[in-house]
Amino acid sequence: MDKVDGTEHYNFKAPADLATLQVIILDTNPLAWATFEKSSSLSFPSALSQLLIFANAHLAFSQSNRCAVIANHIDGVHFLSPADPGTDHRDPGEADLTLEDLKEIAQKNASKYRVFRLLEDEVRASYRRLIANTTPEAVMASPNASYLAGALSAALTYINRICFGGMGGRSGGVPGEEKSNVNSAGGKVDETGRTMHAKILVVSVTPDPANQYIPVMNSIFAAQRLKVPIDVCKLRDSTVFLQQAADATGGVYMEPEHPQGLLQYLMVGFLPDHLARQSLILPTKVDVDFRAACFCHKKVLDIGFVCSVCLSIFCEPPEGAVCSTCQVKLDVASLENLGKPVVLPPKKKKKKKAIDSLPGSGVASAADSPARTE
Amino acid sequence: MADSDEDFVLSSSGDDRPKARGGAAGSSRRSTRKSKRADGAPAPGATRREKWEDIQRSWDNVVEGADGSIAGTVIGLLEATKRKRLLRDTTPIQRGIIRHLVLILDLSSAMLEKDLRPTRFLLTLRYARDFVTEYFEQNPISQLSIIGMHDGLALRISDMGGNPADHLTALQEKAFTVEPKGASSLQNALEMGRAELYHTPTHGTREILLIFGALSSSDPGDIHDTINSLVEDRIQVRIVGLAAQVAVCRELVMKTNDGDDSAYGVILDEGHYRELMMAATTPPVTRTEQKSVPSLLMMGFPSRTVEKHESLCSCHSNLTKGGYICPRCTAKVCFLPTECPCCGLTLILSTHLARSYHHLFPLKNWVEVPWSEAHTSTHCWSCQTPFPTNQSQTSPIKIKIRKPSAAAASTSNGTAAPEKDRQQPSLLPPTQRYACTDCKTHFCIDCDIFAHESIHNCPGCQSLSEEKIKSRANMWPPSTKNGDIDLAAVGPTLSMRTQVAEATRMLENSKIAPGSSMEVDN
Ligand SMILES: [Zn+2]
Ligand SMILES: [Zn+2]
Ligand SMILES: [Zn+2]
Ligand SMILES: [Zn+2]
Ligand SMILES: [Zn+2]
Ligand SMILES: [Zn+2]
Repeated sequence: MDKVDGTEHYNFKAPADLATLQVIILDTNPLAWATFEKSSSLSFPSALSQLLIFANAHLAFSQSNRCAVIANHIDGVHFLSPADPGTDHRDPGEADLTLEDLKEIAQKNASKYRVFRLLEDEVRASYRRLIANTTPEAVMASPNASYLAGALSAALTYINRICFGGMGGRSGGVPGEEKSNVNSAGGKVDETGRTMHAKILVVSVTPDPANQYIPVMNSIFAAQRLKVPIDVCKLRDSTVFLQQAADATGGVYMEPEHPQGLLQYLMVGFLPDHLARQSLILPTKVDVDFRAACFCHKKVLDIGFVCSVCLSIFCEPPEGAVCSTCQVKLDVASLENLGKPVVLPPKKKKKKKAIDSLPGSGVASAADSPARTE
Repeated sequence: MADSDEDFVLSSSGDDRPKARGGAAGSSRRSTRKSKRADGAPAPGATRREKWEDIQRSWDNVVEGADGSIAGTVIGLLEATKRKRLLRDTTPIQRGIIRHLVLILDLSSAMLEKDLRPTRFLLTLRYARDFVTEYFEQNPISQLSIIGMHDGLALRISDMGGNPADHLTALQEKAFTVEPKGASSLQNALEMGRAELYHTPTHGTREILLIFGALSSSDPGDIHDTINSLVEDRIQVRIVGLAAQVAVCRELVMKTNDGDDSAYGVILDEGHYRELMMAATTPPVTRTEQKSVPSLLMMGFPSRTVEKHESLCSCHSNLTKGGYICPRCTAKVCFLPTECPCCGLTLILSTHLARSYHHLFPLKNWVEVPWSEAHTSTHCWSCQTPFPTNQSQTSPIKIKIRKPSAAAASTSNGTAAPEKDRQQPSLLPPTQRYACTDCKTHFCIDCDIFAHESIHNCPGCQSLSEEKIKSRANMWPPSTKNGDIDLAAVGPTLSMRTQVAEATRMLENSKIAPGSSMEVDN
């Protein structure tokens, strides 16, 4: 009887061939781009055009592929595409155009694939709007402004909406409405309940926003949970945050040597979708910096001391054995033997412990002879 | 959840334990309904009523919109359920971040029941698999061990360790192959768990999560001795019951949690089961009475190496290319976090520590936006979903409440006072907007849940410059100190919040709460 109740098929997972959502997070800090242009001869407009070709290539792969562009600007994060529905949709550049110009544009656009044109127009219009609202003073005031954590969070919530129908949360969905129960009903949904795959590409010219360490890490873990790879195209100054992001989520990390050829890097390195990536050797940086810095002196550490309550890292036991972050009195007695460099006593102690906890010493006997109680 | 033979019962009170409750519940329910019709709405304190006697049917309070649809109410109820799980205390509290947990699975014959699909056994193992993954994701520097209760004995499935892959393989190889059989023995399993936790360091927590499918336990000795020794060893026990509440389990949980029995839950359905189990992945609050001694731990932050040729790792003696080098003894390990097999130093990455930070700095709860403030946004800031726009379009012009009671009669005069209407759970369609108290940005419910459960960041706060956030300080809603929202300060939302609470209560009452299930002594 057990054979007919479907138990057999319980773990069956149908392979799903899903479309991909590409989210591009683009640094639009004008000052950072200006400095970068001096050293590399890649200007922002040219980079944007190459990115749009990349986005078009992505859209060309499948009719149901989608693309979103998010700007990491000096005053915050802005969606370039889909454009912010709350704002004026007119292109500020259009006002200056004569009727003749418009006709010419229309003629040029007539032979262009509509999906490409829509994306290009939207991104360019939103970008012009963004720049129109940016004052030179604001640009000068924030040369290194970056809202990486915000941009990643926005990208992830958007992915959560588009690819998971808003159900990509930890325990997702309403109780009783199990993700896995839904999939068998058919439709293009894979075993995790997603309707689309997603990947994020970060094109960055700004340095790490050091004060956003925890939010950036939180975003990285959320991306990991959603199985969304974060690809990084780092044009200037290598960064620890983005290296870790790419490493933790299985994305591609690249620092193009010849930024003028950005399109080539984009097409070869970042275009493949998750299925193609399984059979490719990806250009990924191997030596990621994972070292920790102590909270007291910002010294990079090999071996450190960690408060068991708040997980603060110290290079040496804090004074008076009180954690400077959470003000808890710490037990240093257990540390005394460990604090010294390699000496024998701790080793011995460990070994003894290990023997004590070996199965057979009282654990197993509790199971073997049920009558025994300790 | 209700069995098919129960379908003829009109009430949705979720009488899903016919064996435990017997026919008595059915007859008492019928009599309740009769008495309800006589004296109208149940008056609190008139006579002591049992929990199951207060039947609230979710359809009694449904509000019909102007166009005759109930879409607004349905959305409201759905959001209330989603949000119910979200609103939690966000005061930064001390939590036991370094945990040692023993997961005890019931593998007795009671697990062959098919009240959970496909069987209790298979569902439990699947959830156990998810639990292992989730546990290590939430607690990367913690340890886990799995024990089974099989045929009167305790069956060791996996040893205390920090590698999720080991536990998953052990589950696959040792638990899935077992045929559920015989009785379960609480005492044997608890003793084995206790022995397992006995050697764990004092700065970590000691916990047991017990999945109990049976209604009885056959023990070799006095279980109360075991409970006392668990208390002595400061082990906290959580129990998820699959059938009904068992007195000895309650006692066990109460005694090991300082008299608090909230860690004992009996499941209502599959979703609730998962919820109860996954609740144990959040680090437990450190109680005022110090259960663990805070201490300073020495940890190594190894560097990753890449080798041209394969070499043996010191942890598994496998040939691997690359790995992590212990900074103290330069042994190579292939997996982190772990304890160096040569010198005993705890080896972790800084990212493992970062993973636990959100437990220490939780994201504040967001507040529901009332219609008076809703005009400032048209769509969710982070996922671009449009919000319902105009109140007059979606909300009913005239609220009709179908209530077969005296209360309904008083309002059906047509010109009932609007204030009176508001006091009732007259579910207005919600604005579906939730605002962060710091950056005042409006989000949808799904982003609210996603931000609080997965990202642990407010996308709005992270996307605005500090000056901008400061300039918004006086906008609605008022900023809150980290902690729960001050209801009085929020003012206009109060009515909405009470509505959500009311809707939540309604939904909850449509099932029988776990606390009210029959007590079965072992
Ligand atoms: Zn230091
Ligand atoms: Zn501390
Ligand atoms: Zn190994
Ligand atoms: Zn070592
Ligand atoms: Zn949203
Ligand atoms: Zn915020």
